[in-house]
Amino acid sequence: MRLVLVDRDEDSRGNFYPLALSRPIWELRCGFYSLREKVIAKVAAGDAAYFVPDYMADAYRAKVSGAVNNISALVGSDLFVLDGRVKASSFDVAPRGASEVGVDSQGHLVYARIAKEDAGKLDTSGIDAFVASAKAKLKNVPCSASKWEYTWELVLANGEELTADFAAAGLSGVEGAIEKPGEILGGKKDVYIAPGARVHPMVVIDAERGPVYIDEGAEIHPFSRIEGPCYIGKDSILLGAKCREGNSIGPVCRIGGEVEESIVHGYSNKYHDGFLGHAYVGEWVNLGALTTNSDLKNDYSTVSVMLDGKKGIDTGSTKVGSLIGDHAKTSIGTLLNTGSYVGAMSIIMATGKPLPKYIPSFSWFIEGVVTKGFGRRKLYETARTAMSRRGGEWTEAEEAMWEGIFEITAPQRRVAVAKGRKAMMSR
Amino acid sequence: MATVEERVKTVTAQVLKLNADEIKGEDNFTADLGAESVQSIELVAMFEEEFGIEMDEDAALSVETVGGAVDFITKVCREQGVEIEE
Repeated sequence: MRLVLVDRDEDSRGNFYPLALSRPIWELRCGFYSLREKVIAKVAAGDAAYFVPDYMADAYRAKVSGAVNNISALVGSDLFVLDGRVKASSFDVAPRGASEVGVDSQGHLVYARIAKEDAGKLDTSGIDAFVASAKAKLKNVPCSASKWEYTWELVLANGEELTADFAAAGLSGVEGAIEKPGEILGGKKDVYIAPGARVHPMVVIDAERGPVYIDEGAEIHPFSRIEGPCYIGKDSILLGAKCREGNSIGPVCRIGGEVEESIVHGYSNKYHDGFLGHAYVGEWVNLGALTTNSDLKNDYSTVSVMLDGKKGIDTGSTKVGSLIGDHAKTSIGTLLNTGSYVGAMSIIMATGKPLPKYIPSFSWFIEGVVTKGFGRRKLYETARTAMSRRGGEWTEAEEAMWEGIFEITAPQRRVAVAKGRKAMMSR
Repeated sequence: MATVEERVKTVTAQVLKLNADEIKGEDNFTADLGAESVQSIELVAMFEEEFGIEMDEDAALSVETVGGAVDFITKVCREQGVEIEE
């Protein structure tokens, strides 16, 4: 059986911006793993094929082993087509069985189980046509499986998923090195230090309220405190960090200061002091010293987030920090408001005041206003340099994807730049 | 209508807080007029506003002198069909 993940709906993808601008939704993380890894484990797929927005197909193809936007993957196997936003933990449809299409209350496809012989009878001119013909020709059944709707849901669910993933991994104990003096609070069964990981002296690992998993090659420097549930990814370094509960970090991150209930993708740095809470941080992000985000309003009301630069969406939660896109960079002393949106490839030079809640992708926030700054080619140059420092490569496919993102995000940026110009001229 | 050169000097004077009459065509924005990198971004933005044009950031920011800016902006105005007094 081949799992086919589909992420083509622009409206629902927008709910996961800026993180989903540069990746399919299923590459977002929660707990130890990406949503893709969780779904593959859940349905025990033999192999997988992926259908993503065209502008990212080439870049994504270089990152996964399965077929990407390859229509020939739809023939020759039994298929289990799945909306990439489905929550694996609560999904209980058998991936093998008679052909049928599960639809949600709005009639959108949640899954399609398609036997090899039925797949051959469907329209294979494109994935959208294929899905439409499956819905039209196969038996439709109602499906109430829950889906991830917004990025902040991943952050809010992270603690629970960390605990579940630790249990599923079935590992505990110390295979790496712990140097004395140091302390593990709670049961050692709730701690796993992987081979090659090194915990320096004067580190406290507190597993009293949740498990702590420190993956291969990670290094925990002195005076760090790690509270469970927590996952420290491969080759990440904690530098005297106050790593509060509910964090997923890494791989290859550098983290200092105070971090709480946050998800940080690989190769991102928050090296210095400053608070990051209930935040979702993409790849190759650098948060300058003393960058701090608010995750709680003074009046304890629910946090709203602007995903399009215009209208706030009430998250329904009193605790939501920042959503920070890939390759974003903040200067020293940046203050991010509660529920901020920091666009991908954006550059922030702090003013000492809390920033506007919406910073468009590819914008340069300078002297209190959004500008076009030094332009996107300078940003690509910086991205190339940052990636080469960690053994990464800025490829032509990568640049083509970012050119696509530049176009997609142009309308919001144009509005913000025009507003910035007015402010500049009135000075 | 003022010439491109006059308008470039007026904008430059506003952004860099200088006297427009003292700005010369051969003046280098950085070395002679003291423009910092942030101000060069502001200059590009204000030139775009003044002339109603859109400039390529890389090309615009590589212009070093006031005279160079006049030539570059004149060229962009022609390309984008914007009427100017030369």
